[in-house]
Amino acid sequence: MDEIGGIYQMIVSVGDTTFHLNLTSIGMTWIVIALLLLFGYMATRQSHIMPHSLQLVGELVVGQFYSLTESALGKEKAKTYGPLVVALFMFLLFSNWIGAIPHMQEPTTDLNTPLSLGLMGFVLAHYAGIKAKGFKGYIKTYFEPIAFMMPMNLIGEAAKVISISFRLFGNMMGGSIIILVVSYLIYSLILPPFLYAFFSLFIGTIQAFVFTMLTIVYIAVQVD
Amino acid sequence: MSIEGMDLIRSATYIGAGIAMGLGAIGPGVGQGLVGAKACEAIGRNPSEAALLTRTMLVGQAVSESTGIYSLVVAMLLLFVV
Repeated sequence: MDEIGGIYQMIVSVGDTTFHLNLTSIGMTWIVIALLLLFGYMATRQSHIMPHSLQLVGELVVGQFYSLTESALGKEKAKTYGPLVVALFMFLLFSNWIGAIPHMQEPTTDLNTPLSLGLMGFVLAHYAGIKAKGFKGYIKTYFEPIAFMMPMNLIGEAAKVISISFRLFGNMMGGSIIILVVSYLIYSLILPPFLYAFFSLFIGTIQAFVFTMLTIVYIAVQVD
Repeated sequence: MSIEGMDLIRSATYIGAGIAMGLGAIGPGVGQGLVGAKACEAIGRNPSEAALLTRTMLVGQAVSESTGIYSLVVAMLLLFVV
């Protein structure tokens, strides 16, 4: 049971400051990126008007998320943000699914990964807001109903990052803890594959979708 | 014999983690049940939209689950960090 809390860290000190590198999540993230690149290469290789199976899957995902982005942001902005949305979903999907392979750990069970992705969405949403409304109009949204509500709006914007990243982290971490505890209780008989299928494949897919949808919604809220 | 020092802190963190998880799971349980019930009603009224309704229901449940997830994170912090 010690493996839940333990994180393998490499501590590098440069001058007075020390950096803590979580080697497991870094390695897993690189594996996920390599798998994504492989998938992209295989899906676009020998592309044909009669698609082969991988090309079909790739076109399905890209088409679905483009249409979701279009329905939220409109046709013009979907061209800008569509690729990012699809890439975010694919990355999260592969990150969550890789936990189903033995001896692999999801990068999302480390809080740093969801938090950095949430911050990325936050910065992107505010950049889109400034670009769409101009700096004055962007500042004006904070004083929206009355000027008195400004602190509430600021806290609300900060809470979005916390909620979106902790939701993903808590789901994946909670799933892996439940898998460990239940496997320990039943001596790893029969049940663990189904637990992995439920928590990694099913919950992971839903959480990747929810994270992507919420990022689109945050961008749409700032743009309108 | 009395419980003192570090043992007292450990026991308090365990009790706190249990209370956080138990009370925090009430809200998402009720909320997800309500969402599921409404989705069942809507599918019964309009079965041809079942796929869209199921997708919306799952997303809504995942969002309403987040308060339970916060309590899980607090419980984990109490167990492994304190």
